[in-house]
Parts: sequence; structure tokens; C-alpha cells
Amino acid sequence: MDFDESSTTKIVTREFLAVILAGFGNELLPLTSNHGDDPCPKALLPIANKPMVEYPLAWLEQSGITDVLLICPASHRSAMSNYIQSDISSNYPSLRIDLQTCEESQDMAPGTCTVLRQFSSRIQSDFVLLPCDFVPPPSLSLTQLLNKFRTESTYDGAIATACFYEAGKPDKGTVTEDWGMIPTNLPIVFDERSGTLLHIDSPDDVDNNSNEFELRMSLLSQYPRTKLSASFRDSHVYVCRRSVLDALNAKPHFDSIKEEFIPWLCKPQYQRTRREKYGSILSPVTNNLSQALALKHSTLHLPTPQKQRLRRSAAGSEADDEHLRSVVPSPVEEDDEESVEPSLRVGLVAHRASSGFASRANNLHAYLELNRFFLGQTTWVLPSDPKDRTLIDQKAQISSDSMIGRSTRVEERASIKRSVIGKHCVIGKMAKVVGCVLLDHCVVADGAKLDGCILGTYTKVGAKAELSRCVTQPGYEVGEGETARNEKLETSDWTARDTSESQDSDESEDASEDSSE
Amino acid sequence: MPPKSSSGKDKDITDEDEVLQAVILADSFNKRFKPLTVGKPRCLLPICNATLLDWTFESLALAGVQEIFVICRSYADQVKSAIRDSKWSKPSSGLKIVPIVTAKETFSPGDAMRDIYTHGIITSDFVLVTGDLVSNVRIDEVVRAHKERRRANPNALMTMVVKEGGAAHRTRSRGESGVFVLDPNTSECLHYEPVIGYPPTPLIKIPREILDEHPEVEIRNDLIDCSIDVCSVEVPSLFQDNFDYADIRRDFVYGVLTSDLLMKNIYCYVAKDGYAARVADTRSYDSVSKDILSRWTFPLVPDDNHPGGHAYEHLRGNKYIAKDNSVVLSRTCKVGNNTLIGSHTTIEANATVHASVIGQRCTIGPGAVLRNAYIFDDTHIGAGCVVEGSIVGARVRLGDRCSVPRGCLIADGVVIGEGAKLRKFERVSRKREALKAEQPEDADEEDEEEDSDLEEVEAHQDGAEEILGQGSNALIWPQGAPDDEEEELDERESYSNQRLMRIGDTASDLELSDEGSTTDEDDDASDTESSYSFRSRASSMTSASGGPSLSLNLSNLSDPSAHGASAIHTLSSAAAETEFRSEVAQSLERAFAEGHSVENAAVELKTLRMASNVPLRRVREAVVGAIVDRVPLVPGDPAAQRAEIAAFVRRWGPLIDQIGGVDPVETVEVLQYHCAQAGPRQGLFAQVLAALYQQDLVEEDDIRAWHLSAAARGEGLKPGSALAEGVRKCWAVGAKMIEQFDAESEEEESEEENEEESEDEQPAKPKTAAPAAGKPAARQASGSEEDSSEEESEEEGSEESAPAKQPSAAAATRGESAATSKTPRSSGDDDSEEESGTD
Repeated sequence: MDFDESSTTKIVTREFLAVILAGFGNELLPLTSNHGDDPCPKALLPIANKPMVEYPLAWLEQSGITDVLLICPASHRSAMSNYIQSDISSNYPSLRIDLQTCEESQDMAPGTCTVLRQFSSRIQSDFVLLPCDFVPPPSLSLTQLLNKFRTESTYDGAIATACFYEAGKPDKGTVTEDWGMIPTNLPIVFDERSGTLLHIDSPDDVDNNSNEFELRMSLLSQYPRTKLSASFRDSHVYVCRRSVLDALNAKPHFDSIKEEFIPWLCKPQYQRTRREKYGSILSPVTNNLSQALALKHSTLHLPTPQKQRLRRSAAGSEADDEHLRSVVPSPVEEDDEESVEPSLRVGLVAHRASSGFASRANNLHAYLELNRFFLGQTTWVLPSDPKDRTLIDQKAQISSDSMIGRSTRVEERASIKRSVIGKHCVIGKMAKVVGCVLLDHCVVADGAKLDGCILGTYTKVGAKAELSRCVTQPGYEVGEGETARNEKLETSDWTARDTSESQDSDESEDASEDSSE
Repeated sequence: MPPKSSSGKDKDITDEDEVLQAVILADSFNKRFKPLTVGKPRCLLPICNATLLDWTFESLALAGVQEIFVICRSYADQVKSAIRDSKWSKPSSGLKIVPIVTAKETFSPGDAMRDIYTHGIITSDFVLVTGDLVSNVRIDEVVRAHKERRRANPNALMTMVVKEGGAAHRTRSRGESGVFVLDPNTSECLHYEPVIGYPPTPLIKIPREILDEHPEVEIRNDLIDCSIDVCSVEVPSLFQDNFDYADIRRDFVYGVLTSDLLMKNIYCYVAKDGYAARVADTRSYDSVSKDILSRWTFPLVPDDNHPGGHAYEHLRGNKYIAKDNSVVLSRTCKVGNNTLIGSHTTIEANATVHASVIGQRCTIGPGAVLRNAYIFDDTHIGAGCVVEGSIVGARVRLGDRCSVPRGCLIADGVVIGEGAKLRKFERVSRKREALKAEQPEDADEEDEEEDSDLEEVEAHQDGAEEILGQGSNALIWPQGAPDDEEEELDERESYSNQRLMRIGDTASDLELSDEGSTTDEDDDASDTESSYSFRSRASSMTSASGGPSLSLNLSNLSDPSAHGASAIHTLSSAAAETEFRSEVAQSLERAFAEGHSVENAAVELKTLRMASNVPLRRVREAVVGAIVDRVPLVPGDPAAQRAEIAAFVRRWGPLIDQIGGVDPVETVEVLQYHCAQAGPRQGLFAQVLAALYQQDLVEEDDIRAWHLSAAARGEGLKPGSALAEGVRKCWAVGAKMIEQFDAESEEEESEEENEEESEDEQPAKPKTAAPAAGKPAARQASGSEEDSSEEESEEEGSEESAPAKQPSAAAATRGESAATSKTPRSSGDDDSEEESGTD
């Protein structure tokens, strides 16, 4: 990380507050289910052996934002604060992270809107809302988004800027259906030229009319040439005015930011009645007043047709209209009326797939895909630390597109290909690991074969077991010689109790390891 | 499809030297120019002193068209003689123009297209335009692009020429326009949605399925539809096949794009440069005139290539004055910019002419003021008259000091008295006597319709004298919305919408969400704080809340007539479905009784389906239902019953997949629902399903998919009803079957094992004696099925597995009949019921 850059931007007064929402990650079950009684926070699931929350944090740091409000469930607090104090403070010294928790349980998680409403008093400036699972592409810096927001909010009164990334539909063959459905993209309507997000086809719209998209004529007359696309996904990164939170508070029944609030937020920009209703909330101060004066004298800027029409209809019948037209409106009157209205636009940064891979790790497929993406970018070499180096047997075969964490032991003639192996793992003799992601503390016994699997922490795979395209819950134990394909392996209640006994001894180890980290 | 061999078509496409044909629809099929079009077809109205038809010919000649068919209806004689007398009929013109007179009953472009088909004049791809076109677009390039596309894709039916403009372009009609959904790469038109100005179209509906194949599409509301279509040969025949198509855009394009049977593609040609516009109404008459005067149509401009053959001199400020020195301009008259003055016209002292077109042999009296006025030939404007934003016909006499304000239309030959003050948007024509006196030969049956119009007009002439002044021979047409508005079927011809197409009308008192860019009336009520459900209701009712604010409460009508075609579909579909059901029943009855081949029966069903336009599911229901109902019942002999079913399904089962689409999951669901209703035949479900499985009509995966679906579980049905009960039972049977599949796959993995072992693998399921008797047998049967589906060998599967199944089924029915003897319920049914109890 570039420390010099961040230290220079520190002087600037706070412009944005970053808000990171870290949830339970129910879409990543069973990886995020409890290991015994310990939670496995989604934010700390590693992607390429780096906790996923580090990706948005690094992105923030590069853009010069220093204040971060990190919101996580109360049960994750200890794990998260531990991580922040140990790792982040050393890796990203410029970030000031305020860890807050909200009361929630895994089964009854409150919606993102509710969480944000709860903390709205802590957000006093414009803010950037991020998920903990977005892995931004290197070609797109957060500064780009911020700059677009800065320009548009001062020039014509935009209220937010969203970021979408292109994600093609995955090939049929590579997807394991038993891992759950891949979420379908919400189709969006946007104006490419001005970068304006106009409509998100929310699930409610689908409920209303499942056969057709319904678009407002007013949208099409304001933006006559728009694009409708189903190839983009919401990155859940939104740069917003503070006033957007007031609007959120005014709509108490909204639950999801992505599926309800942002689609709603797109509408006041072209629907007059909504603009009248929420315009004052969304844009209370005309902070573009200075621009307004300039715009009024500009020959290029036309007063909105709506304004003109209002004046005309106020004139009433046509006879009066005729009369009015001959009278030149006095300039004084115009000064009162012709204040430039804020556009209430929602900007859009659409990131094309051709300019770099981006994804959210919000389902198992994407999680695996992201890990594989980073594998493609690194080349594995033997660890420089002599202690780690000794753990890896000479006769082990490790392909260059693999990644192996610290203190992991790879035994004789084990073969690892295209896989991410976490820290403190053990790969037994003759074991074969292909295209897998192994989280920390996994044990793969001798002769086991793993293909395309994701193993949660502390998973134990018995000797000669064969797993293909499976996902395991933390602490799951695969028996000797067992085989499984395309399954989510979860410890049912009775096995969990079993392991918790054996785990007691493990836990002390854990503690020592944690402190050593 | 036209009766043409494909080889012949190929030749047509590749043959570059062939004659390019064009069809001009010279009739407008509406009354927007009334009363100017009393006694005259619209295509002979002059614009910039040349008739619209001449402009159209000129545009087509520019595009390299060689053969033109002019379809005319009203005043066909006049059109014919106009063509005969024009320069185009000279041999040197290189154009062959054939007028075709259609029947009086031709009321729409669609009717005209059907007429073209019956005439059989079209031999290759052709250009279809309306008779009011002004264009300099290179249509030949469009034709070339169209032919190239057609070579690659024989389903490319049509290429529409559209012009990039902008939502508020002056030649873009505010009253009727369309939203095009295009593929940005191929410019294929994926959807077309007609839009009307008033009552404002609030929503555009785009089918979701277009995103399946085209992940990114463009929605264009900025295109000016020029009504130039390059059509393939089969277009007229499609009109013939679909006799309800009336409008080319709203019915034909919309119909082709939304049809799931036709599978044809329509493309757009987005003209980046060039000019093309229709004179569809008086408003566009105004704007197209202005465009011609400001030379957007170059090389078709008054001083060069004037279609009427006149010669004009182009002066600074886009003034055009006839070249032959016959124009008399007084020393003190003022001629402003954008003005065209025809030959032999006199403009007297102190007269002002600004942004106006004046025909030949006119006199503009001293001190008269013309602003945005269009004066046809041989008209006299009296001294001190003021004419503004109006169209004045030929041979009109305006007395001195008349006032003709914005939007007036004065028909040919009208005389208006001295000092008359017309109201705005006044429409004036001659009285009937005057008309008839002048052109007795025209007053034949031709004008019956018109006569009745005029009669009505004559009935309301109170106070006309005052307005029109002394000595006038004119009638005043009623202003405002006619009382019998409900007669108007087509909303776009309604008074308020027509106002948007009227010359000089700003229509500022109309609420136009279309134009007003941010208006959204019906959102008022729907965006209450309450909830989403309310919003959905409000918007689905389409502007019910918007209605009261409109001056005319037309909004209730808006939905059905805005989508004329779809409305017809929904209306007729209910009737069609009942009719379809009985037809299909008869057809299948015949097929079963007379032993038709499956192919023939399938063809018959397909035809029926297309004729009554019902969804595929109905056909499936009918076929599955017929099979279940016609299986001969063998009461008391389960083995024979099995054999009957197997034989029957073997014979007729394949029909299910030949009706036009293969959807085994739906088949199972349909079977379930049919059996659930079928009373005594309810028990056949398991056996028929097994038979279908055996015939490979449904696969294991399909049964699983069905089993998981909400419909299969009977969700949404009234709990406790007989249907729900039956559905639930059938579902349980399916559950049983899937269990067997599961057991099967496990068995397979650990080689072929005995029943005892496989039962051990499922320790969670305790078994009672009765099902245990039936189960192994059933499993064995499904084991053999598994083999057949496992692609060991096709023939083996179909031949051997059938007999193998029979004993097992016999065992199944035996076991079951021992348990419950009254109704023939299947064993699977029993099993699963008991198991679901234990689970």
C-alpha cells in the first residue's frame, strides 16, 4: 500500500464518511454458519487468503477517505474488533474505523435500510455506502466515482452516484446447481451519454407485471435514447448526499436498499409529483445557487420545459395566453421564478467487463470465481519464511497458479492445482486438491481427493475421501473413504455436539494462534 | 408465405438488375385535413406549390425506384388524371407509374395491403411509402442493406426507415409517435410501442423475454418514423392472413414482433443524415413547409428539382420568388424571410408577407398581413386582411379587412365577406349547393360519405352569418369536441389528440406527460406512503386517478384502444378458447376413432391452435386429457389395465411432444390436474405417468422439477376442495416415484444389489407390511426403466422395459386392491400417504 499518498490527503477536512455494511452472509452458507459456538463473520471470509472486507477498505484508502463506519452484527463484534486492531491498523494506518454493531440474529436479519436508519444520526456528511464483499477492479478507482458525484452534485444537483458492473451469465456447465441459484441480474435502464441511472427493475416491478417492463413515458421523453440492459449487477456502492438519509427516514417501510430504496430513489428525477413531494427533502439547500446564477445567463442552458409549461398553464385560457405572449415578462419576475431546479439525478458508473473483472462475493459461485480470478494473477513460489518452507515437502506438486497460506503443511507427493489453501492447513500424503478453496485450519488426510470444493474453517477430510464440488460448514468432518458430489455438507445438530467436545481442546489452540497473529 | 418456390426467391434476392418497385398508399384513411380535402384527395394538396404526390414521386425517383403503384381510393379519378398530366408519365421520366383503384370498402392501410396481395402485382421486395412523403433519404441504400440482410436471414421481413431527431423535434408528431426498442448492434427492431399524445400514454410496456436473447437493448423515443418501409414479398400475404391488421405500425409491426408463431424479424434503418418526413396533419404541413424553405430537403428545394416543375429564384434569407418575372411586388410591400411566392402573383402596397407560402396567380391586397400563412393558387386576399398561421385553399376570396387568426383552414372556393372575423381554428368550406353547381360530374356516389358530413355541418349554422360576413358562400364546421365522441373508435383521431396535430395549436391547456417531460399524473395517488401493493393496483388500472384532471374523460378507454391489437386478442381469446376446446375434442375423437397417424393428428392440432390463438398449454391439456379419458378401463383386472395403458400411451403418447413444443414438466403438471379432476380415473395418474416415463416422454429430471414446483403441490388452490385434494394425492404419488428414483440411483452406484440391502440404506423410513409388498416390485420395474433411460440401447429400452414393467404394475395394483378395493387407486398413492404420516 502506498503510505505517502494517504498521508498527504489526511489534511483535508472530512468530505465523505464511508459506511461498510457487513452482514451474516446467509448466501454463503454453510461457510458462514457457526463453528461450534463461534461465529464465522462473512466479512472475514478470505478471498485469496485475504479477508474480503480488506478489498473495499483498500479501495477506500486509495481514494483518500479516512473515516469508516463499519456495521456488523453484535455477535461478530469480538472477531471483528480483534481483526481491526491487529490487521487493519497495521496495514491501513490512515483509516479510522468506527466499529458499530446492530442487534440481529442470523435468522431474522433486519434489512439494510433498517440498519442504515439506525445509524443515520452518526452520519453527518455525504457518505459512501459499501458492502463488505465487493472486490473492485483495479481499473476503477473509487476516486472516479467520487469525482463524478462531486461534479454532478454541484453542477446540477445530483443526489447519488451508483456503481454497476457488467457480469455475463455464467456457462451452464461450470455451475453447480446444488449450491443454490445464481441471483439474476436486475435489469436497469440508464442513459449512457450522461451516465444517469433511470430505472431499476426491482422485484416489486416483477411482481406487478412479470411479462413486461413498464417504463414511464416521462422517463423516455426526458431521456429519449436510453439503454435497457440485463448484463449489469449492482456493486452496492453508492455515493450519496446526506439528504438521501432523510428520504430514507421518510420511507419507513423500505427494507432493502438495493432492491427497494435505490429503485425508488431513481424516480424523482423524472416524475414530477414525486419531485414535488420529496424534492425538498432530497435537496433542502440549493447548494448550486452559485451555479444557478451562472446558468441563468448561459445561452446553452434552457429553463426546464416543465417550468415554461407551468407558467403557461397558469396563464389559463388561450385568449389570456395570447395576451401574455405579447407582454415581455419583466426580468424581476424572472429572477424569482427561474431558479435552476436541482435535477435530483442518480449518476451511474457502469463498469464494463472488458475493462477488468469485478464481482461481489455474495454467493458461493461468485466466491469461488473470485478466488480463481486472483489465482490467475499470482504465481506461487516457495515461501520465503524458512519455517514455512520446511513445512512443504520437496515431493509435493504445487502448480504455479496456487496459493498457500502461512504455516500450512503439505506432505509428500500431495498435489495442489489451481487452489487456494488457507493458513495452518495440513494436506496429507498423496492428497489431490484441484480447483478448491480451503479456508484456514483445514486438514486433508492422506490420499483424499478434492475437486472444485470450498472447505470451511476447521474442516477435516478423512483419508481417501473423495469430494467433488462440495461446500462444507466450518468444523465439518468428512469420514474416511466417504464420497460426496455437488453437496452442501453441514453439521447437523448431533454431529455438531460431537465435534464441540473434541473442539474444546482445539479452542485453546485457537486462542494461542489468534494471539500470535 | 407467398406461393413461391424458395429457389425463385433466392434468385430475386441475388438479382441486382431487377426493377425496384414501390407502392404508394395515396389515401390517408383519416380526416385530418378536412375541410381542405372536400372535393380533393389529400395527396393533391400543394405544399410549397407542388402536390404532395409530386413530392413523393420526386423522393422515390431520387432513390432509384423504377416502378410505382399508386393505391388510391377517394377521388381516384382526380389522382389518375393528375398522374397522367404530370411530368412523370412522360416516357423520358424513367418511371412507370400505375394507379390502382381500390374498393370503397378500403378503410385502412391494412385493407390496401390486402388489395395489393389480391392484385398480385408485387414480384420482389418493394418500398412502401405513404402519398405524403417528402424525403431525400437514399432509399436505394436501405434496399441494398435490406437485401443483404435477407440473404443472411430469410426471416428479415421488413426494414423501417426512421430518422434520428429528438423527442421534441418539430416534424415528430406529438399526437402519435412510437417507441422503438432496438438491438444496438444489428438495429433489429425488437419491440414497437405506439404512443399517443392525449390522453397521454403513461407507461411503455416492453416484454421481458427480449432480454433473454439481447442482454442490452436501446429504447429510442427520439426517432421520427418516416413511414418508408422496405418490405419483403411476403408482407402483403401476411396482411392477407391476418385480416384484422389495419395499421402498418400498430397492428402489423406490433403483431409480428409479439407473435410467437411467426418468428419473423423486422429491422430499422436509422438514417443519420438526409431528411424524411410525412405530411400527416396540418401541423406537420406547417413544419415540413418550413423545412423545405430552409433547405433541409436539399436537393429537393424550390429553386432546384421543384417537383411541380416551377422555377424559383433563391434570394438571401430563404426567399423564393418565381423566376419568370411575372410576380408583381409593390414598392412598399415587405417580404420577410422563409417565403415562397408563386408566378403571376401580385402583392400590393404596404402588404407584409412573412414566413408564408403563396401560390400562383394570387393577389394580396394593400396593407394585408400574412404571417405563417399558406395560400393556395388563385386566391384573393382583400385589403387590410390579417392571415396568421392558417391554410387558405385555392380560389378563395377574402373580403377586405378580414381577420383569419391562428389555425384556420379555409377550403377551396370559399368567399368570405368584408370585415369578417373568424375565430381561432375555424374550419370553413363552401355550402353544398355551391359545391355541386361547380362540379356536377363529381357529385356522384363518390361523395355520399362526405355529403352526410356536410349535412351535419349545415345543421349547425347559427350565427355563421355574423362570423363569415356578408355575401359568404361558406359553412362553418363545428369547433370543439364533437358530441358523439364515443363513435370515434380510434383514440388517436379523437379531438383532443388531433389538437396536437393542428397547425398553430400550442395545446398548452392539455396535460401532456409526453411533452411535459416530468409530469406524471397517475403517480399522484399511487405514491402514497402506504405501500407497494397500492401502487401496483393504481398503475395497473392505468391512470384511473389521472382521469378527473383531464378535460375529457377518455382515460377509461385509453388502455384497450391504445393497444388495439392486444385488446382484440384478449376479447376474442375467451371465446376462442371455448371454441377451441370443443374443436380439439372432436379432432382427437376422430383421430382416435379412425386411427390417424400421430403426425396427422399433430398437424390438425397445430392448425387449430393457430386459428384460435390459444396458448400451447391448452393444447397440451386437451391432448393429455384425451389420452387419460380414452384409456379403456378394465375394472378388476389390474394387469390388463396396465397393458391397456402402456399400449395406449405407446400409440398416442408421442402426440404430446408434437403439438408444437416440448415441455415435459408442464405435461406432468397438466396430467396431474386432469387426473385430480377426473374422479374415477384419478388413480390412473401413477400408471399413465409411469407409461409416459417408459416412452421417454418425461424424464426423471422432469418429474423432479414438476415435483418441486408450486403448482404441483396445489398451492393457490382452495384447501379442502375436491380438486386440491386430488392434486395433493397425485403429488404424493409423484413423491413416491421420486423416492424410487433416489433409491435407484443409490442402488446403481453400489452395483446391482438386492432389495433388502437397498432398504437398509434407508433406515429412516419404517415400512408397513402392505407397501413393502408393492414396493420392491415397483422398484424393480423402475430399475429396468432406469436402464433404458441410461442409454444402454434405445430399442431395448422401448421394447423390453414395457413387458418388464407389467408384472410389477400388476403387483402394485394387486397389493393396493388388497388394501383398498373400491376405487382403483394406485399403490404409490397409498405408500406415500402412509409415509408422509410417518415422516
